[in-house]
Amino acid sequence: MEQHSLEAVVDEALVRKWIEEYGSDASAAVPLLQAVQNEYGYLPREAMDMIVSGTRITASQLYGVATFYSQFRLDPVGRNMIKVCHGTACHVSGADRLNTALRQSLGIKDDAEDTASNGSYTIEDVACVGCCSLAPVMVIGDETHGNLSGADAQRHLKKHARRNGEFLPGHEEEKSDEAARTRQSSENRKKEVRQ
Amino acid sequence: MSAQPMTIIVGEGTCGIAAGAKDVYKTFRELLPDARMKTVGCVGMCHQEVMVEIIDGSGGAFLYGKVDRKNIPSILEYHAGTGDIRSDHLIRSGSRTNGSDYLSRQTRIALRNVGLLDPASLDEFRMRGGYRAIEKILSEGITPDQVIEEVRTAGIRGRGGAGFPTSVKWTFARNAEGNEKYLICNGDEGDPGAFMDRSLLEGDPHNVLEGMLIAAYAIGASKGYAYIRAEYPLAVRHFGSAIRDARSAGLLGSDILGSGFSFDVTIKQGAGAFVCGEETALIASIEGQRGMPRIRPPFPAVKGLYGKPTIINNVETLANLGWIIENGGQAYAAIGTDDSKGTKVFALAGAIKRGGLVEVPMGMTVREVLYDIGGGSSTERSIKAVQLGGPSGGCIPESLFDTPIEYAALNATGAIMGSGGMVVMDEKSCMVDIARYFLEFTQIESCGKCTFCRVGTVRMKELLTSISEGEGTMEDIDTLEELAHQVRTSSLCGLGQTAPNPVLTTLRYFRDEYVAHVEEKRCPAGVCKGLITHTIMTDACTGCSLCERYCPVDAITGVRKKPETWVIDHDLCINCGMCVEACNSDAIRVE
Repeated sequence: MEQHSLEAVVDEALVRKWIEEYGSDASAAVPLLQAVQNEYGYLPREAMDMIVSGTRITASQLYGVATFYSQFRLDPVGRNMIKVCHGTACHVSGADRLNTALRQSLGIKDDAEDTASNGSYTIEDVACVGCCSLAPVMVIGDETHGNLSGADAQRHLKKHARRNGEFLPGHEEEKSDEAARTRQSSENRKKEVRQ
Repeated sequence: MSAQPMTIIVGEGTCGIAAGAKDVYKTFRELLPDARMKTVGCVGMCHQEVMVEIIDGSGGAFLYGKVDRKNIPSILEYHAGTGDIRSDHLIRSGSRTNGSDYLSRQTRIALRNVGLLDPASLDEFRMRGGYRAIEKILSEGITPDQVIEEVRTAGIRGRGGAGFPTSVKWTFARNAEGNEKYLICNGDEGDPGAFMDRSLLEGDPHNVLEGMLIAAYAIGASKGYAYIRAEYPLAVRHFGSAIRDARSAGLLGSDILGSGFSFDVTIKQGAGAFVCGEETALIASIEGQRGMPRIRPPFPAVKGLYGKPTIINNVETLANLGWIIENGGQAYAAIGTDDSKGTKVFALAGAIKRGGLVEVPMGMTVREVLYDIGGGSSTERSIKAVQLGGPSGGCIPESLFDTPIEYAALNATGAIMGSGGMVVMDEKSCMVDIARYFLEFTQIESCGKCTFCRVGTVRMKELLTSISEGEGTMEDIDTLEELAHQVRTSSLCGLGQTAPNPVLTTLRYFRDEYVAHVEEKRCPAGVCKGLITHTIMTDACTGCSLCERYCPVDAITGVRKKPETWVIDHDLCINCGMCVEACNSDAIRVE
């Protein structure tokens, strides 16, 4: 299957703007990384280099922080994120089944992988989204869904894909203009961040 | 449609939104373009989401649960006088505070406004008595020492889990040298089964902010931080708007209400590290470092953020302070027991009929919470245990459900009060699996500083995994116990010290389940994937092929409408359970 490059092109002016907003001290490390990840979905090496050269934060501190906190990731992600909650209530109500079902729909077979080969979706396990009474829960983009069976999860994924112009692997024949799709999804991500 | 002006109030907490509150709001808006619409936080009855309250023209209030786009017209028909009342969706009518068992058995202090007011409205908060406590303190010249004394009388202990008396902690910071002090609101709710902080920050942010003002005044802090999990975007948004509104009303900033007292708050978003609930790790995180705890003393109250005296109070602790100042410490201390004063909020979830947020007086028994408020099991199976305190807590078996909710009594069971996660488990929950789940969590979340926590939790998880796969020995159980005691005594912070609790309590109360996994190679609850098989019972099967469609590994084959032909290939089957969920005729046996 064709592999899509998910590497982001970093906008230096944006990084400079964030440094202005959050400052150059050591304490700005976490907010700066959060801003970068909100924009690109992960921490591109380029952006981290810009932060190191533009602030008093050292490379070792920044990399140390980036690898310590589970929110941060160093690898590119798909155009849309699916967060599967693995809190206690979700675990006992069958959260694992949601992962199995979603991985099936996205054709992800390798255990070490979490992104569909066409770059459409990335599945991320999260500790708890705080909707324990609706367990098991997942969040696609900015939509939270609760009380799910594996089949429900697949249904919501399909609906989300249809609405956002995405295609699940194996359905590529229905593919439309990819550029439009990328634009649409990056808009979605920004919308999510603003909310 | 009724010509009367009507108010429609939709619960839009994170859980309400997840259940479809936005859609419900939109539908009401379309059907009744002239009605007054309002959104509130979550009242805590998560089992009833989406919740809508309708106040009709004559002032009558009707609270509806499980509202969706389809049943809205019939609800409106009733209010227009053309239909019967939808009793299956009506939770209560009449005054806004009386009603079902779920609410009437609770004592709501911290949660007193949640679900009743629009979190974005400073005016509504003030109408319900908000900011009166801080106004009273500042206008009547009540001294910081008097505030601390009132909180001492109230006897409130930190609600984050450890239960240290709030007034004692404050006194350390008050007496510490220096003029620059910090107050931090700990909203890094890391227990993966608790959501009281989220609900408070989302549903009543000004109440938490007023608590911060009172605490800051008491210890003499002029700068505050609200450390909130990034996973709670709505809480961050609501708290941010509360800060801005309070600032423009002169309730935050310099010279508050002309009293000379200055205090301002900045939000810091957590980045996903359970250990940052620990005070010194949280401070390291705000300073921009890896969130690793350090040796105490010196305690943060003496030497904390940027080396200055710092007090860290939990969201729920702060949410009680306004009430205590207004009603007096004695009124608060009158609730609860000798050991534990006041109330505690729990997030009731799992196999429970009426799950959600509940605030109960200390001293109520676990059984009363589960059965009188929660309505008992949500399944046809009975409740086997309840997990209190998340990864730091333990499982309490049914035989101990008469234990009162207070710090000492819960500690005696091996569990802890914790921050308030209460996950109910029925007979379909495997206690070995639960212990493995929590150890996996703490092992990932261990910061790696202390050897026993870093390596010990890995070894414990490995042992639990091998037991859950049927490869454990009786000796492994002993090793597990020994390791548990070593990790507990050789770790610097609360994470490592309490990490073995889930293992120790399940070993104490459910040892027979461990033995079944080891000696009989059997998982009694039918959960551990290495020890179960899925089989199609052809006498119950209808041959509909649904299971085949949902099987992710194509392990199921058969001919449509010929039940006797359907089989699961056990070499391919990964025991994920998708087929069990898909089957409409209960034809798949798990054993």
